Amino acid sequence: MKEQTVPDRLKISPFLVFYLIMSMQIGIGVLGYQRIIAMDAGYDAWISILFIGVGIHVIVWMMYKIGETVNGDIVTAHKYLAGSFFGKALSVIFIGYFILYSLTVIRTFIEVIQVWMFPELSTFWFTFGFLLLCVYIIFGGFRTVVGTAFFGVVLPAYLLFTFGWAVKFSNLSNLLPIWDHTIKELLTASYHTSLTFIGFEIILFCYPFIKEPKKSQKWAHLAVLTTTLIYTVLAIITFSYFAEDQLQKQIWATLTMWKIVEMPFVERFEYIGIANWNLIILPNVCISIWIASRLIKRIFNIRQKIGVFFIVGAVLILINFLNTREKINTLNDYIGKMGFAFTFIYIPLLFAAVKIAKKFMQKRKVKKQ
Amino acid sequence: MKKLAIFFLAVLLTGCVDKEIIDDINIEVAVGYDLLEGSEDTYRGTILFQEFQTDKSVINRTYSGNGLLRKDLILDVSKQTSEPVVTGGLKLAIFGPDISEKGIYDLVDSFQRDASIGARLFILTAEEKAEEVLEGNYGSRGNSTYIYNLIEHNIEHHDIPYTNLHLTMRDFYQKGEDPFFPQIKKISNDKVEVSGISLFQGDKEVDVLPVEKMFFFKLLVDKYSEGNFEVKLPGGDLAAVKSIRSKRKISILDKKTNIKITIRGVIREYTGKTLTQEVIKKIEKGLEKEIERETLKLLKKFQKLEIDPIGLGRMKKTQTRNFDFKKWEDDYKNMDFNVTSDVLIEETGVIE
Repeated sequence: MKEQTVPDRLKISPFLVFYLIMSMQIGIGVLGYQRIIAMDAGYDAWISILFIGVGIHVIVWMMYKIGETVNGDIVTAHKYLAGSFFGKALSVIFIGYFILYSLTVIRTFIEVIQVWMFPELSTFWFTFGFLLLCVYIIFGGFRTVVGTAFFGVVLPAYLLFTFGWAVKFSNLSNLLPIWDHTIKELLTASYHTSLTFIGFEIILFCYPFIKEPKKSQKWAHLAVLTTTLIYTVLAIITFSYFAEDQLQKQIWATLTMWKIVEMPFVERFEYIGIANWNLIILPNVCISIWIASRLIKRIFNIRQKIGVFFIVGAVLILINFLNTREKINTLNDYIGKMGFAFTFIYIPLLFAAVKIAKKFMQKRKVKKQ
Repeated sequence: MKKLAIFFLAVLLTGCVDKEIIDDINIEVAVGYDLLEGSEDTYRGTILFQEFQTDKSVINRTYSGNGLLRKDLILDVSKQTSEPVVTGGLKLAIFGPDISEKGIYDLVDSFQRDASIGARLFILTAEEKAEEVLEGNYGSRGNSTYIYNLIEHNIEHHDIPYTNLHLTMRDFYQKGEDPFFPQIKKISNDKVEVSGISLFQGDKEVDVLPVEKMFFFKLLVDKYSEGNFEVKLPGGDLAAVKSIRSKRKISILDKKTNIKITIRGVIREYTGKTLTQEVIKKIEKGLEKEIERETLKLLKKFQKLEIDPIGLGRMKKTQTRNFDFKKWEDDYKNMDFNVTSDVLIEETGVIE
């Protein structure tokens, strides 16, 4: 099987995988995941985050094994298993997945701006401006996209400290008694964190672009560990800040906690925080559009630039149909479910299939000799 | 070229949302609610604006309107003001006596829902009509700033327990805990004072604690607190004690609740002749007794009113798996309390 190889000058250093994954994972889910997980497992839900964190490490390991075995991305893996035509057909689904993903991220973020800051903000024009910036970045190539990912993690990192204000008004004893829920409830909550956690699956798509992928694996694990810890700590702060019934009313608990922030130069910190969130959203959208356009290039042999325009056009049209909280919520729900199905069901299956196929082929080789 | 295009786009897009220039808007800084006279559910609301003059003085301006929803009031008031009304600077919400008794949840909920209102807003009750309180002229920095600072420093250093919109809402939603609000009273046209603590059951006022009880109330409600108290000695001498640190430990058993209050304080004032070690011991003992007696009285009162501002139910829940709040309500009614206190006077000032 002959694959076009990516020249070294287009590849990224192994440690950048850390930023790539973290920036893709942290996005819009983190603004309001606390309420969703507390619905299932109450204030024990922080344990669920640790559960899924462990699960993700296994999946990351599987993805690297898949990449190693077929020496390429998911399209190569599909071709390896199902031949050229069916392999490509299977991969087409993921174009849709990543277009929907970028759509969800942009629309949810615009909703936040509309509810918290400017109700009269035009969805279409904001998306237009935002996507223009994304197109500009994506045309710079994969390395530029990863560059935004780096800044998308480093620059807004200070926001973590702003939750310190909430600590003063929190009651850690809210978490007691620990383990007041059944394992089943805890696992359901884990399942519902998927929207917050998805994003690490991009390794399967970026694998050929990583220099010495073996070395990057530890960075991938470190990224997953860091996000898990951030989510756990944030959940613990949220749970001790709100009463349980009160949290159920907060759509964006993370943002509501900013209401307590008091600074001499600004009355409402949300304005700074949400504006900064732009930087967190940017790599999310850029990476997903880049991946979708890369898939188009690999599958249909169309120039990547044309693919980008196609995707951006699709997002610009689709976004106008999402005009109520309910629709946006449904979309968030779906993308969470799709992400879960992809990462926790499809990837293990793919992993098993690739392993079996490899054994089979080796046997055939031995026989031939 | 590309960069230039993006630059222009960025400049052009700034016109996409409404501008709000601070001189051209009225910032609502305080709001008061009363029940409209002769009405069951319509309220009369009063909005306070602070107009900053060029000579640095502040003019307090109030507007009133009636309505069923909070926005009705803003609509009503907008018809009377020359500039649009915005709510982002709201710092105070004052509720009159009749509306507090009827229930304030719907109005307070709207504060939560409004993204532009901060969590540090103080909710107060007033002894007379909220409209009258807001119509005074207090201090030189505006009514809202005046009352806000009054409450804030009383929380930090004196006898009002920690409170703000967030904490109140948390108490409200927390099962096994009831909210409380500081109460203020207008003395004259240029003075207001803290006049007690309004005790709520759910969102309805059931009782008001007088100022003298506030020190003990804060000891019970806040985990750590500061406060001032006066002790009367058997000989008739008086001593003013300031508590620097206090801690309370609560252990709830099935039928009995033990509360231990530890205070580290200093003596600020003493009317007797010399402050010997013996007298200090007496003051400590006297204060301990007073605390035990008064807090016990408060606890019995809460029990009788069926309210739980301390959050004993919540505390019990944290110690029990599969906690049953229904059963707790009965347990609470029959609960026995035992308060012990330990006062240590550390310093007596710069003279002996």
